[in-house]
Amino acid sequence: MARFITDFTRVDGVWLLYNHKVMESMTTQNPTLDAVFGALADPTRRAILAQLSQGDASVNELAQPFAMSQPAVSKHLKVLENAGLVERAIDKQRRPARLKAAPMKEAVAWLEDFKQFWTGSFDQLDDLLTTLKQERKDD
Amino acid sequence: MTDLPVYELKRLFDAPCDLVWRTWTEPELVQRWYGPGVTSIVHKMDVRVGGEWLHEMQWGGNSNYQRADYTEVAQNEKLIWLHGNTDADWQVTANPMMPDWPRWLTTTVTFTPNGEKCDMVLTWVPHNASEAEIACFAAAMDQMGNGWGKGMEILAEVLQELKA
Repeated sequence: MARFITDFTRVDGVWLLYNHKVMESMTTQNPTLDAVFGALADPTRRAILAQLSQGDASVNELAQPFAMSQPAVSKHLKVLENAGLVERAIDKQRRPARLKAAPMKEAVAWLEDFKQFWTGSFDQLDDLLTTLKQERKDD
Repeated sequence: MTDLPVYELKRLFDAPCDLVWRTWTEPELVQRWYGPGVTSIVHKMDVRVGGEWLHEMQWGGNSNYQRADYTEVAQNEKLIWLHGNTDADWQVTANPMMPDWPRWLTTTVTFTPNGEKCDMVLTWVPHNASEAEIACFAAAMDQMGNGWGKGMEILAEVLQELKA
């Protein structure tokens, strides 16, 4: 079943992915890609993600390189958390944030597939035009 | 209008524009290229203002449906239509994973002669979209950028580091 779903995304773009996502959403409780795209649309949040990819960090540690207040960083973290991109440890005082990459990979896959649909189609169109030009010459 | 997000795709085809035009407007030709690696079926294609194009893509026992409602048709030069994903009855539907993806995208294809070749430009702009739909499309397009923008580079780095 899993391989079947993977094949869909590899073969096609946004429309096949559509169905792929429908199936996936039945088996997992992923936040929607809407939330992921919303979270990724902000440069500060992308920078926070980049920093978290180096390792877990507390709000205090995250605030320093951005010259931002802790509440401001907390706000961004909340958006990232709601999008499923970040999780916070609950049992420790400093509550370090940790990056969760799966939704981001999905978002990247969505965009790649959107592009892939068109570039794949246009490659096929290239071939078709070559054939049509040949037919025209032959007439 | 001018601040709506636009996504643009350009491609130079090694064929005259009248031939490229035919590949967009003749059902039997459209079926041969539209949709990579799938069975493409044109159920209806009435290329004139007010006409519609109803398209099904099949793969592995699954189907996806989409419709186009033509709003401008200039032979060999330009095609404009409203594009939407639909159910099997050709009614436009929202995407369950991306509910805020615009239901309708104005799609414009222009064909401009370039010597013996043809410059084709495809653009998408949200049509009659809610603020949420515009924001969703803008965020996605921002990530996609022109051949992947800055945001994508950062993400690619992050993903690379995670793989390592």
